[in-house]
Order: sequence, then C-alpha cells, then structure tokens
Amino acid sequence: GKTEHSFILCRGGLAERLCRLQNRERSAISFWRHQCISDNTPSDKSGVLIVKILEIFEECTIQVAICQQLEQSPVTLSPEDAAINAEEPVLKVLFTRETAAHLKSRPQDVIHIYPPWQKLLLQNADVPVIMNTYFSQKVLLSEHSEAREKTYGLTKMLIRKNIISLAQTFRLDDPDDKLHQEPSDNQVACAPQIPNNGDSKQHPLALNAVNDSLLEMVESQGAVGWRELQVRVVIQRVYCLPAREGCRSHTQGNKPLLSNGGMFCRLCLLVQDAYGMFSEVQLQSLSSTDDSEQYCRRWEGKSCCLAGMKILQRTTRGRALGLFSLIDSLWPPAVPLKVPGQSQDSEMMTTNLPPPSFCYILTVQSGEIHVEVDEEEQISNLYQPPAVHGLKEILRIDGCNRRCSFWAQVLYRRLQTKHNVPIDQRDILFFVTDSTLQNAVPGIPKVVAVSVTASCVLSMETGEALSSGSQLVFFKDALWGNGRIICVERTVLLLQKPLLCSAAGADLSELTGPVRLDELDSTTQANSICALRGTVVGVNESTAFSWPICDRCGNGKLELCPQDRELLYCTQCSEVVTTPVLKMQLEVFLSCPSRSQSTVKVKVWHDIRVALFVLLTMLLFLQTYEVQSVLGKEVGLLNCFVHSVTSHPNSVALEEIALL
Amino acid sequence: MDSSTLPAVAEELLREIKKAFRESSHGTDTFSSRLKFIFGPSAVPALDLVDQRSVTQLRSPSGRTLYQVLGSSGKLYTCYSSCHYCTCPAFGFSVLQKSESLLCKHILAVYLSQAMGACQELSVSEEQLTNILLAEEEDEG
Repeated sequence: GKTEHSFILCRGGLAERLCRLQNRERSAISFWRHQCISDNTPSDKSGVLIVKILEIFEECTIQVAICQQLEQSPVTLSPEDAAINAEEPVLKVLFTRETAAHLKSRPQDVIHIYPPWQKLLLQNADVPVIMNTYFSQKVLLSEHSEAREKTYGLTKMLIRKNIISLAQTFRLDDPDDKLHQEPSDNQVACAPQIPNNGDSKQHPLALNAVNDSLLEMVESQGAVGWRELQVRVVIQRVYCLPAREGCRSHTQGNKPLLSNGGMFCRLCLLVQDAYGMFSEVQLQSLSSTDDSEQYCRRWEGKSCCLAGMKILQRTTRGRALGLFSLIDSLWPPAVPLKVPGQSQDSEMMTTNLPPPSFCYILTVQSGEIHVEVDEEEQISNLYQPPAVHGLKEILRIDGCNRRCSFWAQVLYRRLQTKHNVPIDQRDILFFVTDSTLQNAVPGIPKVVAVSVTASCVLSMETGEALSSGSQLVFFKDALWGNGRIICVERTVLLLQKPLLCSAAGADLSELTGPVRLDELDSTTQANSICALRGTVVGVNESTAFSWPICDRCGNGKLELCPQDRELLYCTQCSEVVTTPVLKMQLEVFLSCPSRSQSTVKVKVWHDIRVALFVLLTMLLFLQTYEVQSVLGKEVGLLNCFVHSVTSHPNSVALEEIALL
Repeated sequence: MDSSTLPAVAEELLREIKKAFRESSHGTDTFSSRLKFIFGPSAVPALDLVDQRSVTQLRSPSGRTLYQVLGSSGKLYTCYSSCHYCTCPAFGFSVLQKSESLLCKHILAVYLSQAMGACQELSVSEEQLTNILLAEEEDEG
C-alpha cells in the first residue's frame, strides 16, 4: 500500500499513539480473518451483532448499510434493545472500503459483526450508527443463497453514491448542553479483543493508565494530552531547597519561611523510576518549615504518582555537583532495573551500570495537585535509606563530594563572623562528636566541626532546639570533602530518628560520661574547640571590660531608669533590674604546658550576680583593679574556641566558651 | 434515508472529542480508533498536525475567520471556515474530484485543533485577510 508514515511523528503525541493502535488492530484483524477462513466461524459468539442488509449506499469510501437487526446474543441484550427488537429495529452499519470489498454484501445478506464494534447515537436521529466493523463476516444461510451468491458475484452491483455537500460544516459548539448525548451512550458494545499492551497498573484515583517511565513523560511534554500522563516513581529523598531570589513564580506571598534567614524554601522530592532515572521534583513553598520533617517521615521510601509536571531544567553532572553527589550515593540501585522497550519480565543487571549523567528538574503547575503518595503502602524495594556511619569512619572516607549520614551530639554552635554577609546567610559552625570519636585512640580528633551553610535549610524546631541545649542530631546526606564535613543544599538535619536507616556497622551507642575535648596542643587549628589548662602570666588590662546585664533576659544594654536614675532598667523586659549580673570580660595570658612555646591569650568571662548597691560600688572601683591578685593563678580546664593560630609570632588566641 | 450519514457521524465524533478534552478525561484510544475508521488515511496525519500545533485561526476585526495550516512539507495551506475547502492538492483530488474523502487532513486538523484547544490564534487586519484569500486565487489562476 502507499506509505503514509514516511515522516517522523511526535514522540508520545496523539498521532503516534494512533499509529501504534492501528498496528495492533491491523494484526488483530488479519489474524481474525485468517481464523475465519480456516475455521469458518470464530468460537466466541458473545456480543455478536447480527444484521440483515436492506439497502446499501456509499459516502466517500465508507459503505453505509441500512440494516435490520436480527437476534442479538444474550450478553449484550439490554432492556432498550429488547423493546426495539419487537419492532424490527433498523441500524445504519458503516463498513470501510476494505471490509466492504471483503464482504461483497448485497441487500438481504445476513452479516455477523463481531466485537469490538461500536455504537454511536446521533443527535436528532433515531437510527443508531454502528462503526468499527472490522470483524464482519457474511453468513450463508442456505444452499439457495449460495447459488445466488455465485450468480450475483459475476454481475457488478451498482451502489448509489451520496455526494456530500461542502457546505455542510461541522458545528462543535453545543447551543444546548442538555441535549448533548452522554459519551457513555456511545460505548463500545463489548470488551475489546485487541491484545492490551499491559500497562494496566491502575492507580485508584487515576483516570489514565499509569506510566512508569520518567523519560517518556518528559519527552511527551507539549504533545496534546501530556497533562493527563501519570508516572509512578519512588521517593528516595525529601528535602527543602531555598528558592533563589529570582524565582518568584511559585512562592505564596512574600512570607519569609526559613529560620535560617528570610529566604523562601520549597519542598523537593528526589524520585527514581523503575528504569533507574532520577528526577528532582520541586513542589510548593512550605508555609512552616516544620512540615518538611513530617513529609520526610511520611513520604520517603514510598511510591507516588506524578502528573502534569513542567520541566524546569535538564541538568548534567558537571553543572549540578550537589544534586549528583546525592544521586551517586543512591547508586547502584537496590533492585534490578527495567529495560526500556522490553516486556516487564526482562530486567537488567545493575552492578556495572554507570551512574546517571543527567537529571530533569520538574516543577508543578501552580494551584493543582500533582503528587499522589500512597502513605499506607509499604516501602518500595527501590528505596535506599541513608547509610549511617560513625564519625571516625567518615573522617577516613576517601574522595571528595561524598554524601554521608551520621548521628552526632552537638556540643557548641558558632555563627560565622563575616560582617558583610547578612545574618541569615551566614554559615553556622557546629562542633559535634559521637562515641566513635570520644572513644578513639589519640591522633583522631575528639570533636569535629560541621559547617552548615545558608543553603542547608534548618527547620525552626531544630534551630530552636539547638540554641537551647546540646542535642543529638541526625545529619542526613551531609557532604564530606577536603577533610571537612559541610551541610549544604539537600542535607537534612533531623532531631528524631528516621524510621529507616541502615546502620553500616556504626557504633550508635549513647555517649557515656562527660564529653571530652581535645587539649590545646601544637596541632590545634583555628576555628576549632579545645580544652586547656595553664597558669596566668599576664593580664591585658586594656581589654578589661565589665558591664551589667539583665538577670532575666541577659540583655546587655541596660539603661538608667527615667524615674529613678539610680536604678537600672531593661527595655526588653520593660522592668527595673533589681539584681543585675555583672559581666566581666578579660584577656589573660596563660602559660600552657601542652603548648609551651606559644603565647596563649584567652578571653575569659565572668558573670557575677550582685545586688545593685554592690554593683555600683564595684563599677566605681574597677579603675583600681588588682592585677596582682590573678597572676600565678591556675586556670583549667577551660573549654575554648580557637580564634586564630599564628606561627610568627607563635601565638594562639582563644575565647572561653560554654558548651551546650 | 434522506440526508447523508457520514457528516453527522463525523460531527458527533468531533463533539465527543471536544467534550472529552474539556473534561480532561481520557479515552484517547477510543476516539482515535473511531477517527481512523471514519477518516481513514487522513487520521494519523491530521493528529500529527495537531501534535505539532500547526493550525492557526486568523481573525479580522470584522469577525471574518480563516485557518492556516502548516503542512508537513512546510507549505502553508488555507482552510475556509464557512465551508469545507482547503488549498491543498489532496483536497482538490480526493474530495472535489473523486469524492473519496470527506475532508483532507488539514481540514480535519482544523476541527481537531478546535476540539482539543490546540488552535493558535492570530489577529490580522482586514487587508491582510483579504490578501491571503486573493493570494490563493492567484496561485490557482
């Protein structure tokens, strides 16, 4: 025949789908016809329409046969049909040119039409139309007919041809919707016999068959009907990403949502389909960042259906190191992957597959629900929970940009001091430890610094908890590289134990006994914490400083009471401070045996709670501070933060700290 | 039987498609096979034209409309709104001369695009619309 499809059709478009359907139908039709010739009658009699032709004419290449419906098989008998049967119902049966040529029908012939024929009820017409009559067969009733058939076969029958007027255009608009037929009336009469493709995985709420390939969904974007495509994927990770300033379209209002600053944050899912392909799905902005931990708990590991996604970006390994370091931590997959184009039975070995080199970032159309997660379902086999290691093991990991997860006790928190960076965008330094470090041999640090960048979203709850005391925190998917652990985008800090995590031989026992810090020595570096002991050898008097603070809220900016200028007033509490705390700051020089070659300068604080009278007296007398009284005093064990370490001159500047 | 059957069937089919798309329900396979049955070899090419968003409705201030379809060969064909007419050679042959088809693939694509909301829209001046119509005449002349 003529080649109509010499051009390439849009992948996933309607044309391509019809093409595939056609191919299936064609093979089904030829198979059926072949069966007819060999067996004489197909075995399945249900749903067969039996008609007697009264009149035939042609319109274009379609043959229209006005028929009388004879009996119908019990399966398809409906109450309406039963009523019409009594009055010898009339049908208009349409045949394609090919079927008509095969049938060679004439008036009075009886035709059996096998499913899947379709019935169409027209508006303003009583006679139903029967179409898709590919599987039709003429039935020879008797010998007499056979003879007649032979005779008639020789003479060409003239069939009237109706010429259709060009003026008869189609009106798609319905002036009166009530008159419009429900599509359910125009149904397929019986179950189709065309073999199904097998994508019958029905989501209970879906109207469409659910696809399992992200790539197919992505490539069918823009084709008509892509919005209805649903893809089933596994949620590997749930996290929040700070939304960039320029990305305003999906934020709800201008509410700042993040405790780590006034930035917007969006809930994101890292999903993987059955073929192993990953995609980052950016969902809506969160109203309260506490919700993200809940989503994490409820959604990670579950399957979900995505629909109506918009492609934001197609990114590659070179352009999105952070995302791909997370993807790499999930590779190779936990179960064998499907191979595209093959039946579901054949699966692929995954041991030698290289990790993906590209990833689609998808986003949702605003205002619509696109993600259906079945929370009741079991955790998918494809899910890979974070592998938890002890800090000692992590410090020994080879390589760069590796994602790691661990439990650790947060001992101390410090905000980065870059003044040109707004507070909400500064890095926070956490000093953490676990039992693997505390119990380690000398040479391995007891405490490790974890830098939390502004791009790592901290929930309000976590942030507040950390400011109030030492916490055991689960660091999920932190980044290890260049000897440092950093929390960046896609790292999640959780206070509660996640439901699933594989402890890869880690010693997750609780810390027993008080926490020990490394002692100040020659290896101590800046921006670390340590413990020290020594003797006071000098006082930097120019830095001696004392001031009263409110004993209730710690406000260091007290004012004189307007009513009584001998009293101190706290503006934050809006009350008089009757027993202020005297805070004294002093820099002392110590001689430390652990680092005897260095000048050790420590800024120390003292808080003295005093009655107001005593305070005023002390403030008056601070000018005659007795330096001599502190010289030679033994100091230790002080917990300190190391500000700087210099070699020329050999000195260390520290600050006394209070651990959480 | 008085009036013709096929146009009524085709119209009903297209209405169904429009309803299905309005409700975002599926059933693409059902109407696809019907389209194929009625329109034969035009069905797949017409759907392809819809996939490629090839149909544009031109509208002038007076309310006159015209359709232009970008064919697969890159040529722009004009289809009338008030009657079934297309400037493509297939229309002249299959529809006018041989009465073998009800529509050519371009006219079918116009209807399908209308039904599925895939029609692009363009506002043109009266003069531009007239020129397009006249240009067609000149070609045939």
